[in-house]
Amino acid sequence: MASILVEICAGTHCVMMGSMNIIDAVHSLEEVRAQGPDACEIQVRAIPCMGLCREQSNGPFVRVDGELIGQAESESVMAAIMKRCGGGREQP
Amino acid sequence: MRGIFTPITKIRRQVFTEVAKFAFERDLGQSDFNFFYESSYRIIPGEVAIYRDSVFKERAIIRERIRLAMGLPIRPSGTHTPLTEGMADIASSGRLLEKPLVNIIPFACAACPTDRFQVSDNCRKCLAHPCTSVCPVNAVSIGRAAAEIDQEKCIRCGRCREICPYHAILRFGRPCAEACGARAIGSDALGRAVIDQDRCVSCGLCIVACPFAAIADKSEIFQLITDIRSGQTVYAAIAPSFAGQFGPLATPGKVVAGIKALGIRRVIEVGWGADISSLHEAEEFIRDVPAKKPFLGTSCCPSWAMFARKEEPDLSRCIAKTHTPMVASAKRIKEEHPDASVVFIGPCVAKKIEALEEEVRPWVDYVITFEELMGLFSARQIELSEMEEVELMSYASRDGRNYALSGGVAQAVVNVIHSRDPGREVQVMKADSLADCGRMLSLARAGKADGCLLEGMACPGGCVGGPGTLSLIPRAGKAVASFAETSPYRTAGDNPLSGAPGTRMDQTVNFTPGG
Repeated sequence: MASILVEICAGTHCVMMGSMNIIDAVHSLEEVRAQGPDACEIQVRAIPCMGLCREQSNGPFVRVDGELIGQAESESVMAAIMKRCGGGREQP
Repeated sequence: MRGIFTPITKIRRQVFTEVAKFAFERDLGQSDFNFFYESSYRIIPGEVAIYRDSVFKERAIIRERIRLAMGLPIRPSGTHTPLTEGMADIASSGRLLEKPLVNIIPFACAACPTDRFQVSDNCRKCLAHPCTSVCPVNAVSIGRAAAEIDQEKCIRCGRCREICPYHAILRFGRPCAEACGARAIGSDALGRAVIDQDRCVSCGLCIVACPFAAIADKSEIFQLITDIRSGQTVYAAIAPSFAGQFGPLATPGKVVAGIKALGIRRVIEVGWGADISSLHEAEEFIRDVPAKKPFLGTSCCPSWAMFARKEEPDLSRCIAKTHTPMVASAKRIKEEHPDASVVFIGPCVAKKIEALEEEVRPWVDYVITFEELMGLFSARQIELSEMEEVELMSYASRDGRNYALSGGVAQAVVNVIHSRDPGREVQVMKADSLADCGRMLSLARAGKADGCLLEGMACPGGCVGGPGTLSLIPRAGKAVASFAETSPYRTAGDNPLSGAPGTRMDQTVNFTPGG
């Protein structure tokens, strides 16, 4: 079973800009995934400040299997996960 | 929109951060308040409107939000008043927060239609059309393409909606009015929402319900920061619901360290005051119910207490006379440190109104929310996850910390009653929305609450569902409960600090959470 690591920054700036809501959105995704045909495991990890917000203030920052997403929102993070899960629909 | 991060949440927090940043960095002698014009461009940059029809309107709304965040009234939209009007005054004097606390910015309001039923495209114009048969006032008819509802005749009973086999009839209402358990929201001549200040109990739930970000409350962050910067000793009293509010890595010890890094001398748990309140309320219950009062209502939620006073003035004597946990904690702090200022930090908007009451004013200087505090952390770039964990003092018992949860207050009081009078059975009724509080009061009026302890709260789930919170309610509830378990004391009676007045804060026992 494929495993996807989702690291969500839980630093001050990112939490203020909504990273806790992203954590909740990713957890809610597990329920959606359970209904779908593809099984994959989502690991969610809250990580300390990566320092990126000090250079560029476009948090919250999230890494999906290492791919950095700036100005992350629930929808962009969920889409990145679904893409890796082989989710979304296979294009014919 | 609770629990989802929307552009509204973002804007609200950006405004707090801008005001906090200005307050921390300004020249105390000669401040240039024109900073806030630039703020509106920082928050809404560019020429293209993102959220509304016009970028200029977006910025104009931001500027009114800034005024409210400065604790100032919004400006009339029809006549000229400078943005900075009144700012120099609040910079030099003490408290200036004035009612009304919760404000609708009229030109941000989308003037949503008031409660009405509408037929959607789901309507199949079916042969049975039961919608017409169930309508008691003959308001539903079958038009050319679909069912039609005559809004003049409609009495909003909702029967057509219930019966429609295609779920084609929708109830369309104002989110602000639906969130308002005090039924305080009406309309002005232009159809925009207005708050009836006689009915409003400042619970603040309309603020987080409005999808157009038209409602905001006043804030005292500017005054608090000015106080800190002018060298005043400030104590913070933090509400029991703080656990889990600032992210999964911000442990209670780190949050306290962060608050101290803002220049606050010491952080006291309001759970301590909650323990004091529990003891008093238990005593009042044992003494007065049923001899003098048919039932006893808890006193900690100011919206509930205000609501009960307004709705059922005759029954309001049955709301406990006890100081709320906020006041009990602040009083103990000021008895020991009369020259210090006290800021209450909590999830609550209504506490801002409570702090303006005559008998509360001397004890509580400022009230800010968790969300506003986050703005302060952000302005000072305080990285909570990197803070050195401070050793926490256990000011509060498990029961005191559970005051933040619906049911927790009554449980805490019942536990004290049981320890004082082991044979006594106490029936508890509880409500965690003003609408339910209203139903509970009706039952009480009918004599159905006799002998009961009534726990009233305005917010869903209790204080963890307050409008000034950052965390999702279930997540916050879990964090509060697990923090409560780390207390070495179970009930209010076990807490050595909750006893006789004059118990000094310094007598607290140090402990390490979990240790």
